[in-house]
Amino acid sequence: MTKKKVISPVTGSVWKIECAVGQTVAEGDVLMVLESMKMEIPVEAPAAGVVESLAVAEGDPVDEDAVVGMIAS
Amino acid sequence: MSGTDADNRRFGHMQAALEELAFRRSEALAMGGKEAVARQHAAGRLTVRERIAGLADAGSFREIGQLTGTGSYDAHENVRKVVPAPYVGGTVAIDGRTVAVGGEDFTVRGGTTFSAPRRKGGQGGLVEDFAYHYRIPLVNLVDGAGGTVATIEKRRHTVFPGIHGFERSVSLLGRSPVVSAILGTAAGGPAGRAILSHFSVMVRGTSQLFAAGPPVVKRSLGHDIDKEELGGAGVAVDKAGTIHNAADSEEDAFAQIRRFLSFMPQNVWEMPPVVPCGDPVDRCEDALATIVPERRTLPFDMRRLIRLVADLDSTFEIQPTHGKSIITTLARFDGRPAGIIASNPMIYGGALDNRAARKQIRFMQLCDTFHIPLVFLVDVPGFMVGLRAEENATLLEGMRVVHAAAQISVPTTTLVIRKCYGMAGMATCNKNDVDYKLAWPSAEWGSLPIEGGVAAAYRREIREADDPVAKEREIEERLRPLASPFRSAEAFAVEDLIDPRETRPVLCRLVELAEPRLRSELGPRSTFNFMP
Repeated sequence: MTKKKVISPVTGSVWKIECAVGQTVAEGDVLMVLESMKMEIPVEAPAAGVVESLAVAEGDPVDEDAVVGMIAS
Repeated sequence: MSGTDADNRRFGHMQAALEELAFRRSEALAMGGKEAVARQHAAGRLTVRERIAGLADAGSFREIGQLTGTGSYDAHENVRKVVPAPYVGGTVAIDGRTVAVGGEDFTVRGGTTFSAPRRKGGQGGLVEDFAYHYRIPLVNLVDGAGGTVATIEKRRHTVFPGIHGFERSVSLLGRSPVVSAILGTAAGGPAGRAILSHFSVMVRGTSQLFAAGPPVVKRSLGHDIDKEELGGAGVAVDKAGTIHNAADSEEDAFAQIRRFLSFMPQNVWEMPPVVPCGDPVDRCEDALATIVPERRTLPFDMRRLIRLVADLDSTFEIQPTHGKSIITTLARFDGRPAGIIASNPMIYGGALDNRAARKQIRFMQLCDTFHIPLVFLVDVPGFMVGLRAEENATLLEGMRVVHAAAQISVPTTTLVIRKCYGMAGMATCNKNDVDYKLAWPSAEWGSLPIEGGVAAAYRREIREADDPVAKEREIEERLRPLASPFRSAEAFAVEDLIDPRETRPVLCRLVELAEPRLRSELGPRSTFNFMP
């Protein structure tokens, strides 16, 4: 089993979380939507697998390149 | 080493000299010897001679300084062995055009500098002189760490920095295209030389570049860090943007170099090459009509938009992994080269941060130097905001873009796809030029966006309202219709609105219109101005 980090592409804040820990996801599925520069920026699953953990909650500020979750595949 | 009787009859007294020449040539071709070559291959790297062959048209290499090296002689002063100089260079053809090329030979003393009265390559080397005087492109195949402290013992003194300076490397940048490939570990002089290029590429995983390597970092800072962590493509390309592009293999790096050069003229006194185009100029894609989402807070795929309007498979993106809020790509319209600078709404809604700003400046100057017209595809909300952005001097870097845009002389077309705000929006125009601004009906612009702008401008009116939130909405709703691009077109504040599907024919026509103008302005850029 390998683990893949879910990386935030931008600095902003978490607007909506669209997955739950334990959920099975496909590569490219939208895990959460960030708000940055008044835009809705999707964060996609870097690989197919199971959402092992989420490091952020709705409303949290995030930095570019921050680890916002882990996918186990 | 004795020739045949037939040879002896034909060449007489020259026979021995010809044999020695053949021997010395074979010594050069053997590079650092079988073991050193095997070690180079085991490290996942090609030898410098394989690299030149991989880059060039078959059989086109004409070597310069092949015999340079360190000879050993027997008691009768007959040559027994020659260790070649750790640099191989000459001219090759790339797609039929002559290019100067050279690189360190890592199999000989790790590609360290060879002390000769005249340098073969690197900064101020003969290969560079060939590019300069014959006005041909230069490709540096970098695989070495430059000088070594060991030469102090040989010279009995230390040398002042710049005895082999970068003057020629710098002046070459205004004359002919210069490309550098980092194909091993580059530090010191070769690393510095690589930066002075119009395009640079390194191989992900097998090449590293830094001002100084891990041992120096350990000694200076006490930090332990390995060379890939310190100067692999993840740092030098993705994070820092020091090197433009990463390649998956050396072969991929050569393909990228050939692709880059296919857009470039041989020098600034020539026009960039035009190729036959099989893609119809009047290809009008329906997908363009719906590519901008109805909800204005949703991003869209700008790279797809570019593919829909440029000649099929004609793009070559520069710095795709750095400064990602803009896209800088060479492309063709009806076979003619153009440089596209496009906002990328997927990253920060296309806002210009310090990285994107520097990337835009480098690309504008590249196109300006080699007479490649610019096309801006705009969806920019402004400069990046926030503490991190301020710490990164976004305002300074952003105004440097405005400064650079005010100095370019190539014909420039501005097409606003969606947002065009503030000083970042200003930097998508060339006010020295005809400044012809086009827009899609999805466009909006201004000094600043209505959202947020209203809260600042009508602060008092909003604060004093019974329901401040409703008041802010009300003012926004009042202003919004006035922000329609049709109002601007009516006032000639933007010159034309076009149907998104007409984008390709319109851009093809404008790039064609630029050609005779560019032809009348060939030569070096003369502008040099104080850079803030």
